[in-house]
Parts: sequence; structure tokens; C-alpha cells
Amino acid sequence: MAKTYDYLFKLLLIGDSGVGKTSILFRFSEDAFNISFISTIGIDFKIRTIDLDGKKVKLQIWDTAGQERFRTITTAYYRGSMGIMLVYDVTNEKSFENIKNWIRNIEENASADVEKMILGNKCDLDAKRMVSKERGEQLAVEYQIKFVETSAKDSLNVESAFYTLARDIKAKMEKKQEASNPPSRSGAHPIKASDMQRKPASWLSRCSIL
Amino acid sequence: MHILFALKTLYHNLYLKKVPKIRIMADADIKTTVEETNKDYVEDGKNKLNVKCKFCSSKILDKQSANYITQEKQLPLMQQDNNREEGEIQTESVNEFYHVENMYTFENIGFTHSVDNYKYLSCADCDAGPVGYYDMNTKHSYVALSRVVHS
Ligand SMILES: Nc1nc2c(ncn2[C@@H]2O[C@H](COP(=O)(O)OP(=O)(O)O)[C@@H](O)[C@H]2O)c(=O)[nH]1
Ligand SMILES: [Mg+2]
Ligand SMILES: [Zn+2]
Repeated sequence: MAKTYDYLFKLLLIGDSGVGKTSILFRFSEDAFNISFISTIGIDFKIRTIDLDGKKVKLQIWDTAGQERFRTITTAYYRGSMGIMLVYDVTNEKSFENIKNWIRNIEENASADVEKMILGNKCDLDAKRMVSKERGEQLAVEYQIKFVETSAKDSLNVESAFYTLARDIKAKMEKKQEASNPPSRSGAHPIKASDMQRKPASWLSRCSIL
Repeated sequence: MHILFALKTLYHNLYLKKVPKIRIMADADIKTTVEETNKDYVEDGKNKLNVKCKFCSSKILDKQSANYITQEKQLPLMQQDNNREEGEIQTESVNEFYHVENMYTFENIGFTHSVDNYKYLSCADCDAGPVGYYDMNTKHSYVALSRVVHS
């Protein structure tokens, strides 16, 4: 069957237990469905289709099923993943400090060029906040990773964060593709008839300015 | 059961291979049921329209992307009765499905953790479900027509 999409990206949610990874994947709501059959079993992963600059991109987003408690996230789990959301809880200092450990874990186990992003989740809980936004930003600068504060509860910045991560992966891939076969030779930018017709005109006009 | 299956196969072969529609009058009973319930939704053995979540309209399948099949399966109810006995799972029998061979065919969908050899499918946007199931042996997915809407 013909492929009906342009890109497929496997993404992971990583971070300490309790920071809100499952809530980010599972729509955070107190409606009837959350006490349903699905919520008792839990979501393993989701497939989402998004449009990025005219390209159809499939995201396969995986939750960690409690392995994070024992830091037993190993090479097998990271295999094939192209993007990782590093999540901490802004009301939990330890979860923030552990981001560094998670980054080390990723460096040891995941592919070297995996794209990363840091999420400071539960930003709706301002009264309980322990980690300022500035500290999150500093950490991100230190590691040269993008950062945003989110609230899975209020669906704040969650969707846009996935778009950002996906866009960065796509840009990286396109850069690689271009490097391995330059556009002039690959024919990635075929000359359109309209371009050919326009060319003499622009050449003429340039000449006339000279 | 065998005859039913053979008819079903024939029905699909006819439509999938785009053979001009042949009316098999002798089998009118079965064919009519299948055709009448689904002529609005099924074309050439595939979903004619986009398949969406009943509750939030999230797009689950693009039109023409899945094959219509009939098979009898027990599927857990979307809303379990709060007064049911502990550990009990209420199910109902479902007969019509869209068969999706490659999971990346889905536009938006959730896969639950595994239960025996199955994962259940849920809406990626509102988590309503099960709207179908995924068979871990074959890696094929099945979406119940009765649990989704077409548009
Ligand atoms: N206020 C608030 N609570 C959240 C948020 N995200 C998750 N939680 C709560 O934090 C707890 C742990 O969330 P969970 O998603 O299970 O974390 P996980 O262990 O990382 O998967 C749950 O009680 C959630 O309801 C958020 O953005 N805001
Ligand atoms: Mg979790
Ligand atoms: Zn829905």
C-alpha cells in the first residue's frame, strides 16, 4: 500500500515518576471517560497526525509504564526514538535536579542525535511552585535544549511543545538529506516551466539596471 | 459459518478488485443485509468517509484507508456500569469493523497497555473507548463501526 504520510517520528516522555508524563499523553480531564475501561488499563502510546509546513507527519508518542521509578530505562526502550520530552514537575525540586541524570541516561542509551526538549509541567500550581521558570530556562541554555512550562491539567503548551519537537526533528532530517544529496543533483527542486519563462526577464532586467 | 465466510470473501474480492458489481441474486439475503446497512459508509470495500470520534470528532481514519469486514467480537463497553461486580468487565457483541493492517494508517488513535494479546483503541483526543482493538499477534487493528461516526 502506498505510504500516506511524509514522516514518522517516534517520541518518548521521560522524567521522574509523578511529574505528569501519563497526564500529558492521556487527556487530563475529570469527565466520564476517565473512570472508564480505558483509564483503568492506561494508554501505552498514541499516534497523532500533524501538518508541518505542508508535510504530513505521524507522531507515535510513548509513555513510560512505570520503568522510570527504577531508572531501568535502557537502550531497548530508546531504540528508534527520534525525540524525547524531558519532563519535570515545577512543584518538585528533586524532579528538576534529576533532569540532568535523565540527560545522562539518554546520552548513554539513546541515539546520539535524538532531539530533546524540556517541559516544566504543573505550571498551573503556582502556590506550590519550587522551581522558577528562570531556573528551567537556565538549565535549557546549559544543555542547549528547548524549554517550555506546561500544564497537562489545563492543556497549556502541551500540543505546541509536540509541534516544536516535531519541527526540530524534521528540520534536522531535512538538513541531513540535503547534505547527503545536494539539491542541484538530486533534482529536489525541479525547474518549473514558469521559472524558465521568468528567467530571461529577470536576466534582462538585471542587465538593464547595470 | 463457512458459507458466510466464503460469501464475505467473495463480496470483498468483488469490490476490492473493482470487478463490475455482479448481483448474486441467490445470495440476496446476506448480501442485502451487508449492503443495506453499509452502502452509506462502505464503497469498494473501504470506508467511503472519514471516520471520527463520536464524542469529540477527532479524526481517526482518513476516508478510503481501511477495509470493511464483518466478524463477531466481544468488546468491552465504553461506559462500564458503576454498580457492576468488582473485576467484572461488561462487554457487547460487535459485528462490523474496519480492518487496518498498518497502525500508521491511523490519523489519531490511542493504544492501551496490553491485555492478554490485545490492546484496545481509544480516541487520541478525548480518550473515549474502546473504539476497537489491536491484535498483537497479527499487528492488525480493528475499529468498530458502531463506536465511531462517519463524515
Ligand atoms: N495540577 C496539576 N496536576 C498534574 C499535572 N499533570 C499531572 N498532574 C497530577 O500529577 C499526578 C501524577 O501524574 P502522572 O501523569 O501519573 O505522572 P507520571 O508518573 O509522570 O506519569 C497525578 O495526580 C496528576 O493528576 C498538571 O499539569 N497540573
Ligand atoms: Mg505514568
Ligand atoms: Zn474523542
